[in-house]
Amino acid sequence: MSNAVLHGSVKSGFLDTLSIPAILTGILGLLTLAVLVIDFWPYLANGQVPQAMFSPDETDFDQILFHYSTLPRLAMAFLCGAGLALAGAAIQTVLRNPLASPTTLGVGAGVEFALTLFVLLAPASLAMFQEAFALAGGLIALAAVYLIAANRGNATLWLILAGMIVNLLLQSGSQIILLFNEQYLQSIFMWGAGDLAQNGWEDTQFVWPRVLIGMIAILALSRPLDLLALGDDTASSLGAKVTVLRLLILGLAVFITASVISAAGMIGFVGLAIPAALRIAGLSRSRDLMVYSVFTGGFALLVIDFLVRQFNEFGGDPLPTGAATALFGAPFIIFMLRKARIMPGSQSDDQHSDQQIVSKTALSIALAVSLVIGVVFSLFVSLDGHGFVVLGWKDSSLDILIGRSERTFAAMICGAALAVSGTLIQRVGRNPLASPEITGVSSATALAMIMALAIFGFGQRAELMVIGAAGGIASLLVLLALCRKFTHAPHYMLLNGLAMTAILGAIVRIVLTRGGTQTSMLMSWLAGTTYFTNMDEVMIVAGITGVLLVVAIALRRPLELASLGTDQSVSLGLGISGFQFAMMLLAAILAASATLLVGPLSFVGLMAPHLARVAGYRLAGGHLLGAVLIGVNVMMVAEWLARNMIYPAQLPTGLIAALIGTGYFLILASRKR
Amino acid sequence: MNILRALVCPVLLCAALVGAHASTAIADPIEIEHERGTLRLDAPATRVATINWAFTESVIALGLDPVAIADPQDYVDWVAKPDLPDSFVDLGQRSSPNLEALRAAKPDLIISVPDLGMSYEKLAEIAPVLELQLFDGNRPAFETAREVFGKIAKATGREAEAKAYLTDIDQELIKYGDRIKTAIGPDQTINVVFFFDESNVGIFADISLPGSVMTAMGVPVAYDGEVNKWGFGRGGLEILAPYAKETLVYTNPVPDVVLDKLLNSPIWKVMDFTRNNRVYELPVVWAYGGVPSGLRFAKLLTETIENGPQQ
Repeated sequence: MSNAVLHGSVKSGFLDTLSIPAILTGILGLLTLAVLVIDFWPYLANGQVPQAMFSPDETDFDQILFHYSTLPRLAMAFLCGAGLALAGAAIQTVLRNPLASPTTLGVGAGVEFALTLFVLLAPASLAMFQEAFALAGGLIALAAVYLIAANRGNATLWLILAGMIVNLLLQSGSQIILLFNEQYLQSIFMWGAGDLAQNGWEDTQFVWPRVLIGMIAILALSRPLDLLALGDDTASSLGAKVTVLRLLILGLAVFITASVISAAGMIGFVGLAIPAALRIAGLSRSRDLMVYSVFTGGFALLVIDFLVRQFNEFGGDPLPTGAATALFGAPFIIFMLRKARIMPGSQSDDQHSDQQIVSKTALSIALAVSLVIGVVFSLFVSLDGHGFVVLGWKDSSLDILIGRSERTFAAMICGAALAVSGTLIQRVGRNPLASPEITGVSSATALAMIMALAIFGFGQRAELMVIGAAGGIASLLVLLALCRKFTHAPHYMLLNGLAMTAILGAIVRIVLTRGGTQTSMLMSWLAGTTYFTNMDEVMIVAGITGVLLVVAIALRRPLELASLGTDQSVSLGLGISGFQFAMMLLAAILAASATLLVGPLSFVGLMAPHLARVAGYRLAGGHLLGAVLIGVNVMMVAEWLARNMIYPAQLPTGLIAALIGTGYFLILASRKR
Repeated sequence: MNILRALVCPVLLCAALVGAHASTAIADPIEIEHERGTLRLDAPATRVATINWAFTESVIALGLDPVAIADPQDYVDWVAKPDLPDSFVDLGQRSSPNLEALRAAKPDLIISVPDLGMSYEKLAEIAPVLELQLFDGNRPAFETAREVFGKIAKATGREAEAKAYLTDIDQELIKYGDRIKTAIGPDQTINVVFFFDESNVGIFADISLPGSVMTAMGVPVAYDGEVNKWGFGRGGLEILAPYAKETLVYTNPVPDVVLDKLLNSPIWKVMDFTRNNRVYELPVVWAYGGVPSGLRFAKLLTETIENGPQQ
């Protein structure tokens, strides 16, 4: 009897720790074999496999194509998948974070940004520095993410949120570079979206030694990694030089990522999903995890790429593999969120009680004054490419003023809406890095509008507005449904936003590679331009923002309690989850309204509430008003810069605001050290 | 917008109405069908702003210098001819032409595209907008281009110039076509191809501007596969394989690095057009332009082919 019980438990333990990953890898291995058989079939049938593989008949087109296109594509798919999965496994182990990966921590976006910049701007004579440049881009992005998240109580969540901030910023940075090089759009998009089409073995020859060296080095370091996994204290007491080891492994992971992205562009989610899935399936030792990641990642990307190739045979525009991978991978994040144990951060991590910069009253007055002066300056002063111009009184002046005020007010209203939204999310979620971008509502709004525009051909702005609003609200309902079961709902809601944003990213890449003449308009809207807004829309959004701001201020007392933390509030007798959801709903409506006007990105909703609290606006009511004042000021400045910085060309306001926001967080992070 | 305007400037609005009314009385209005119904102009436009290069080149070809042009720098690189005027207002990007710069140029006509439909009202506040579709995916691009050219001529009162420009154009195109047939033989067809990167190519279909001009020349393109919204097919080099027996012309500009890698790749080298020495390099010409680019394409294609294949 006891023997049988023992046997049973051993069996199930065996299943948990070894079999499931092995089965997973085995299934993918079989699928890979099937792919190979299908691709090799013509040559298997007539026994020309060795010839086609090693010395193709120079007169037989099919053989040449097979040898120089199909074979290297198979090899590249395996190498990229294996490399990225290993890089992800290494990063996850080093940072002890199940959601870390080259894509979620901004490494991929950093490499992509650096390469886009390099390809378009660097002279041909510097071509040999391209790789170093890409590597530097990845390392700097990772360093920025680490800096923002360093020294926080809940490193897991902070890292991911910081990664998302840096990701969004770099992606929109890449888009801006492209906006100004419209003619090359198509090819850069194709590469940026992760294109595995091959013409010869050159890319493979570039990638394989790098990935192999990176793999061997990481695997060699994987024993000390197991020590790392025990935690810093244990590892250093065991004599490992923890910091050096961590940096070395992270550097190698970035190196592999940079090599892969240089050759094949952005391939999302393999680096996140494969190691995370293997870990959930029961692999805990880092060496096992890595070896399995190499094969599972390689097989998985090879199979996905095969599917993409079949799809592309229908003709028309090709579907880029990387974007397709992201589409496969995004739902997986939601699944993983249910598995990964991410504890909510405690507010005390970020109180900044010693960081009050100026007195609240002085700051409020200063902000109000700067607002008034700023509006007057924005409306009457501009740059015309030679210097400052003050608008005089001519017959066209009124029209010019109306044009400028439309855009300035649109930006300012969005600043206010996002500031309120962000304050609510940060208070209810008790997370100072939460923002409207991160709930996914902005992304879903944008996604609905893009699909309507690019796929279903809606061109009228009013139609798009309605569709966008519907998309934002629908996504909120989905989020609420997903979060229903969780104890720490707000946190999962934020993390679900990650998945939504990822899906948006993938769809945007696909839509942009598929061309259509509205591509560049779409891009500037995505990056947050006020160019297309009109006063009627501004008035509507202003009305919504005003009403909801009043509602939020009226609810400032329960909001105060909510931000003390669920447990205390519950003990004080508040029905906290209903209230939390109501506040999240307000936040989502505000975020969606702002997105309709200036696109999904700005970080004002992140920065303004944060800055307000650092400046000493502690109580909910003051926090809301302080955040609004800051948000409006920031967006006003961003809007003026966007319109005038490189006159007559115009930059998207959201991007400028995002630059200001990211700069703020980097400065804050370095001050803390 | 309307709210503010109504609040702030009723007087100006009235003045504008009176002014508009006064000038209608003077001359017969010009009426042009466009994407927004019928555009009425009281007099031929003389100060034209062009948001798209196809319009820019068409206005210049009609002998009128546009007063405001979007993306002039890139025009030089991608359209090349006809030359831009000596002075004009730079409007910035085609995707978001600077409204203040546009206003400062004091245009009396703005020629725009439906892609910018979202800012139509804003443009229309500055000057009458002629919104013309250049390529709709159904009609051959050259046919649409001729119609657009005619509408621009009508709006600018240069119908005589347009007539002169288009005289004998059909015969001329046929003559170009005959010269090409003489050069490459009557059985050969041509594909016009451009390179995205070393692995991806685009191939113009008969509906595109190059394709429809070639149809008019009597040397239709060989490509008959799938077409995207821009009028070309796209894919790896293998999409060229079914047409490898035909002649291939690739367009410019293309980065040297890409060209180098591509022309030296084994797949390129095994293609029949490479082996049979039927690869030609076309100088810069705008493949999404108007009538001037279409005619320039015909001329350059003929000269390119007469000059012989690329070595």
